[in-house]
Amino acid sequence: MVSKNSPGPIHSPHTGDFMRMLSDAGVQLPFAQGSPSPAQRPSAEAPSEMPQAHGTTVIAVKYHGGVLNVGDRRATSAMAIMYDRADKVLALDDHTLIAIAGSYATAMQVVRYLRHSFRYYARTQLQEMSLDGKVNEVARAIAGNLAAAMQGVGGFLPVLSAWDSESGEGRIFFYDAMGARFESAEYGAAGSGSERIRGAFDYIIRTKRPFTKMTLEEALTECLVLLDIASDLDAATGGGYKVAPVARAVTADGILDIPEPRIRHMIREMGLVNGHAV
Amino acid sequence: MLYSPYDWNESLQHRSEYVDLRLRSGSPVAGVSYDEGVLLLTIRGSQRKIFEVYDRLMFSALGNQADLESVRIAAIDVAHQEGFSRSPDDVTIQRIVGFAISPLVKRAFADAFSTPLVIRALFAEVGRHPDRDAFFTLNYDGEFAALTGSAAVAGTLAAEQAMMEHLQWDANARPSLHGAIRAALWAWAAGRLMASEPERDAPPSGSDLEAVLSRELKAGALEAAVLERNTSRESKFRLLSSAELDPVVAQLL
Repeated sequence: MVSKNSPGPIHSPHTGDFMRMLSDAGVQLPFAQGSPSPAQRPSAEAPSEMPQAHGTTVIAVKYHGGVLNVGDRRATSAMAIMYDRADKVLALDDHTLIAIAGSYATAMQVVRYLRHSFRYYARTQLQEMSLDGKVNEVARAIAGNLAAAMQGVGGFLPVLSAWDSESGEGRIFFYDAMGARFESAEYGAAGSGSERIRGAFDYIIRTKRPFTKMTLEEALTECLVLLDIASDLDAATGGGYKVAPVARAVTADGILDIPEPRIRHMIREMGLVNGHAV
Repeated sequence: MLYSPYDWNESLQHRSEYVDLRLRSGSPVAGVSYDEGVLLLTIRGSQRKIFEVYDRLMFSALGNQADLESVRIAAIDVAHQEGFSRSPDDVTIQRIVGFAISPLVKRAFADAFSTPLVIRALFAEVGRHPDRDAFFTLNYDGEFAALTGSAAVAGTLAAEQAMMEHLQWDANARPSLHGAIRAALWAWAAGRLMASEPERDAPPSGSDLEAVLSRELKAGALEAAVLERNTSRESKFRLLSSAELDPVVAQLL
């Protein structure tokens, strides 16, 4: 790549595409394998299930002023709990958060890739990548991972939260295994535990009030309860009694890290210390 | 065509003269390590002049705009490639300037069949501690130098020396951002004046510098950027706003 951009004859226009720069430089992306080969594709005779992300619970809700992400911290491999301090809510830049579910290894590679990709674009092109561009870039990474995911290894599905500075509001996007993107009106969740609590989001919205009307504190309280329920019903979701869940928000002013002592304090106040609301 | 060592030597000399002449009118850049980060400052025409390269790395230069772009993009490419395939912690000013960019610039200068790069660049790196802040200057012939505390690039060597006299602090003392901007402005004016008057041997007086600053600030735009050592933002790089710069200028003039 260096020689390509070195002084000399005019080279092709610079688009700020990080993936292209890497492939020109001969750097292999562990997750960008293209479409599945015919052998990997499920046939009509033996339909295989679409890969599904498992083993976690991450939640994203729009509150008044931004988008809050909360995630448990358990990482599992089959029946074993491998790690109880996994950070599944990560900042991609000052206006974008990603909450990851599924293969931790792939997800961390993809997060590293996306962080570089967004910044590479901004630094070379001297303007931030559009939100639409970022949402598509995530889709590209998921689609590139499809071949591996179809074989049952390395599947992952993220929830993307962003502050849209054009419209002045928080936005939430989620994906399917093929890389299709969907936008969510109020909340998003991913991981095995998220299935167990899906209906509870609507229950809160209908019986209390929409998350979008809540303060950060109120939204965080609801999310901690939801996560506690998920950890009660899903073996792969860690509770908050040992290691506090991670919580981050994306706002107009950037990323807000909610400090662990504050979350721990809230969990104690709410009586969730033993994994059960009392 | 016969190509003798004499021709080769003369060709390099011609190229040096060609570049030196063009750099002389370039706007200087001053770099200062201050308590909370590193600062680059210049006064520019229409085009931006200070750029983020990587998480802890920024760059500015005087010279031809297209050559600035070539070097800027090459540095960003190498930094991101290395930061992704290894770690952001491995992207250091020493590796980017010394091993990646400098050989390229040298090769371009030595290639007799292409136009040499018209560039004199200043790279800055913010460390986790002020002692680890670093500057690299890079010349059009590939020559580079490492500096700590402060650094300057300008149209001539004398201009750079004049700038450095305004950018000296006691060992281990670091100015505030306000103090850094102030000193960088004085240094810029000294560099500008010395480069535009090559025959001058007396150092410029305070009123000379004031006259240069007030004239040039009207003609151009003040541009300053920082890499902040301890920030909660994801990006350490930030262009300073006029709300931050105007009070310092108002105090000086």
